[in-house]
Amino acid sequence: MADPNGTAVFATTLPTVLLVALAGVTALIGWLRPGLPASFHRWLSSIALVGAGAAGVITLDGLTHTHGLGLAAYAGAVVADRLGVFAVLLLCATGLVAVLTSGAAAHRLGPRLPAFHALVLTATAGGTVIAVQWEMGMLVVGLGLLVISLVGLVALEKTAEAPGEVALRALAGGGVALALLLYGLAIVYGATGSTDLSATAGLLVHAGPLEGLGLALTVLGLAYLVGAPPLHHWVLQVASASSGAVAGAVVSLAAAAGGVALVRVMVSGFSTSLRPWVVLVAVLGMAGCLYPALLSLAAGGLRRLIGLGACLQGGLLLTALVAGGLGGDYKPAGGVTALLFALVIFVLSVQASFQAVARLDVDGIGTSLADVRGLARRSPTTAVLLCLGLAGLAGLPPLAGFVARILIAESAVAAGYAWVAAASVMASVIYAIPAVRWMAAILVEDDEQPAVVPETPRLAALVGAACAAFGVVATVVAGPLLYAANQAATALR
Amino acid sequence: MSFLAQTATTGVSFPTLVFTALVWSALVFALVVLFLPDQTREQRARIKSLGTSGASAALFFAIWALESQIADVSVGTGGRPGGDLVEQHNWLASFPITSSYHLDADGLGLALVTMVAVVFFCTALAAWRNDRHVKLLTVSLLTLETAALGVLVSYDWVLFLIFWTLPVVPVYLLIRAFGHGHRARAGVRYAAVILVSTALLALAAALIAFQSGEHSFDMGFTPVSVHGSGNQVAFWLITGASLLVMAVVPLHGALLDLEEDSTGVLSVVFAAVLPSLGAYGLIHVAVGFFPTLGSRYSLLFAGLAVVTVVWAGLAALRADDLRQLIGHVGTVMMGVVLLGVAGHTTVSVTGIMFLLIARGLVVAVLMLLTSAIQERTRRVRISQLGGLAWQTPYLAAFWLAAALTAAGLPLLAGFSGDFLIFTGSFPAHRWATTVVLAGTLLTGGVLLWAAQRIFLGSSRDVFVRVRDVGPLEVTFLGVLLAVIVIIGVVPGHFAGLFQNGAAYILFPGTS
Repeated sequence: MADPNGTAVFATTLPTVLLVALAGVTALIGWLRPGLPASFHRWLSSIALVGAGAAGVITLDGLTHTHGLGLAAYAGAVVADRLGVFAVLLLCATGLVAVLTSGAAAHRLGPRLPAFHALVLTATAGGTVIAVQWEMGMLVVGLGLLVISLVGLVALEKTAEAPGEVALRALAGGGVALALLLYGLAIVYGATGSTDLSATAGLLVHAGPLEGLGLALTVLGLAYLVGAPPLHHWVLQVASASSGAVAGAVVSLAAAAGGVALVRVMVSGFSTSLRPWVVLVAVLGMAGCLYPALLSLAAGGLRRLIGLGACLQGGLLLTALVAGGLGGDYKPAGGVTALLFALVIFVLSVQASFQAVARLDVDGIGTSLADVRGLARRSPTTAVLLCLGLAGLAGLPPLAGFVARILIAESAVAAGYAWVAAASVMASVIYAIPAVRWMAAILVEDDEQPAVVPETPRLAALVGAACAAFGVVATVVAGPLLYAANQAATALR
Repeated sequence: MSFLAQTATTGVSFPTLVFTALVWSALVFALVVLFLPDQTREQRARIKSLGTSGASAALFFAIWALESQIADVSVGTGGRPGGDLVEQHNWLASFPITSSYHLDADGLGLALVTMVAVVFFCTALAAWRNDRHVKLLTVSLLTLETAALGVLVSYDWVLFLIFWTLPVVPVYLLIRAFGHGHRARAGVRYAAVILVSTALLALAAALIAFQSGEHSFDMGFTPVSVHGSGNQVAFWLITGASLLVMAVVPLHGALLDLEEDSTGVLSVVFAAVLPSLGAYGLIHVAVGFFPTLGSRYSLLFAGLAVVTVVWAGLAALRADDLRQLIGHVGTVMMGVVLLGVAGHTTVSVTGIMFLLIARGLVVAVLMLLTSAIQERTRRVRISQLGGLAWQTPYLAAFWLAAALTAAGLPLLAGFSGDFLIFTGSFPAHRWATTVVLAGTLLTGGVLLWAAQRIFLGSSRDVFVRVRDVGPLEVTFLGVLLAVIVIIGVVPGHFAGLFQNGAAYILFPGTS
């Protein structure tokens, strides 16, 4: 690892500083000049996110001088490596989608739209902190910033009763997750005497029951972000109560940051050679796959179905995490590569699904089965996008979610966890059945209601369609995407 | 020397894209159709034209690939993978287990490619008579064709699984849109069959790719040697998945429901094409990857063949619903295919290829005839029909030809298949072969008996106004029957290709 220097400080902090600074500017302008058009805040936030992403790309260029290892700053507390760059780019892309589609939530957010943009930026900033941290304190700071921002995003829709209550519940859930994480890290610190996550793996080689408890609490705290059981309820509540645009932003940002946190903390921090936590993650992964999949069979509404799909993605990420180390033949099992590849696909699938729901929100169409029955006749574009989103969540071919699932299952088998792979495959099969049934209701069934005039803002509609189309395109360009994920994964070896 | 190389003399080498064109041409047309309106009669006609064009394009490339490989038989490469038409490009190269865009075909694959392309072409023609949900029908049929052809030419596990699972959505949408009776239940059951078989295949793929030490999803290296009990597990996972889709007894319920609750051209695709993909999975993947295990468990396959033929034959005897009857006939023919697998000889596997083509074409003809009868009489129960030959002599003639093909009459496609399978399997499984042979004859008899009850007897007043087949129906039924006759009259044209394919499956690694 290179010595701390100005370049390292610049590379590790620039995206976060840029995002926080422009979040402040957005909030301030929104407060001082409430009459400014929404597009002004949208473009300001977009510039911040594109700038942060560009900073990540510049960092990538800088990494060539360190033979790809990384640039460390602040005594190794933060490191700019390929995984960090990958994560920053993913988070910025997720934030950008949230910002560009905010028009679909304008009717619910009203004058609080600038605050929405500011909170998306701070949530992304929290994610970037998590992406570059190698130290427990920084992890907690990043996670705190992220959770508070996400709770704020849900709470912004306070004109509706349900989101307010959900925000409070999500805040409570987030508090529990943070507390679990803090307790877990405190125990690990007590056992190892170090808050440096790059050193804990070596110090935890002979982990006893207490250290095991610390690892377990940390895993549970991080599983909250990706919506894996037992702390998955917030995803379902946000999906059910918030508007599609807000739910998409919150769930996808949490998943992106959570996926990166899992890799950063669990693989590089705790090492995959520590069997207790790997077994725990395997059990959580199985539960995370099967539980939402089984619940989806009885899902009565589209929002709940999508929420359960998002939870299922969390379970699949945990399944990939199990294979984060070596396989049975002492070669990398490919779990981290599969996880990062899947993370990109899953985040955009979640966004695509919620953006389709956002279109329904704007057009005044409900999300029960009766509401969407025969939607293809009334609103063909929304119907196709909705089906693409559902197919992406279900991992139906030819969408890239299918490839991601195969890679995850393959890496789990390679790591010797064939039973976890089998559970993930079965869960995907189970979830696909209600997804296909809903798609049939949307596309096939006749409906006598008049056609709907689409009212979704053009930009939001275009970005939502692009997310849905990405699911198909990503199968074709899976090679380059997998290459990027593999490059990011090599940073941990 | 390839078919193309015989005619091209420019010396410029172009990348071979025959298999790519074969697989994706139908989907390209489907994507175009997706964006077209279907409100007026002219718009619907345009969509139907594009649907037929997509199926025609696939048929063109299927014949190209077939003839190209037949031309290569003389130099010993025809019917084996790795010929002039192979396409392989890096795809998922950055994963510990690599995957590539690898398209190729052996004799079995080419046999089924031809059958699938012909059936879909005729289905596209038959779909001209439909005026409901035209866009949905066209897009779904073209997507199904891409999926079926993709399965047959994929030589990479990831690609294979993508194509294998692709029919889930179109099949479910089609049965929901055009089915009757318990269509929702039938759709869910069959979707579950495809998804469960995908899950089994995915686990087998993971096991093979990792434990064989190849670290590749490529399906070109056979036979596979997996450590420990991995061989057995992978073999049975693939076999289970394939038998599910083949719909042999006792796993035939979902497909029978689907066939019974579907109407029109759907039943053609469901009954003729989908089970053939299962047979391909069993022979090409399970037996091809694990020939030793295929031979070791041949008695089990023979037993399953007997159970399937006896059960489905007796069920056909009792069946009163026409679609149910044809479903059972198709199941009997799949039982014969299983006997060929049990035979485990080049002769029996060559016979399987002939029989799978014959089965697909016969079932397609019978299903199309059933649709024609239902359309004219509003009845599908045999007991409610009778004396139709007075009004529909051509319809009766087509039915008779199909029945005789199913019975294995010489000079029709079914004969070569049945003869080779029974000859190849008899030395190893005498009793099973005898029972299956009797079952096949019984099925042919059942179809002829059905013909007697449907078409013969005195003319009924209610059917006086029933028309015979029109020009469009004569065209697509004629095409199917022509292929049946061509294969029956000149089986030697295809025999070399199929023999090479069978030898490749049973004895990989030998030239």
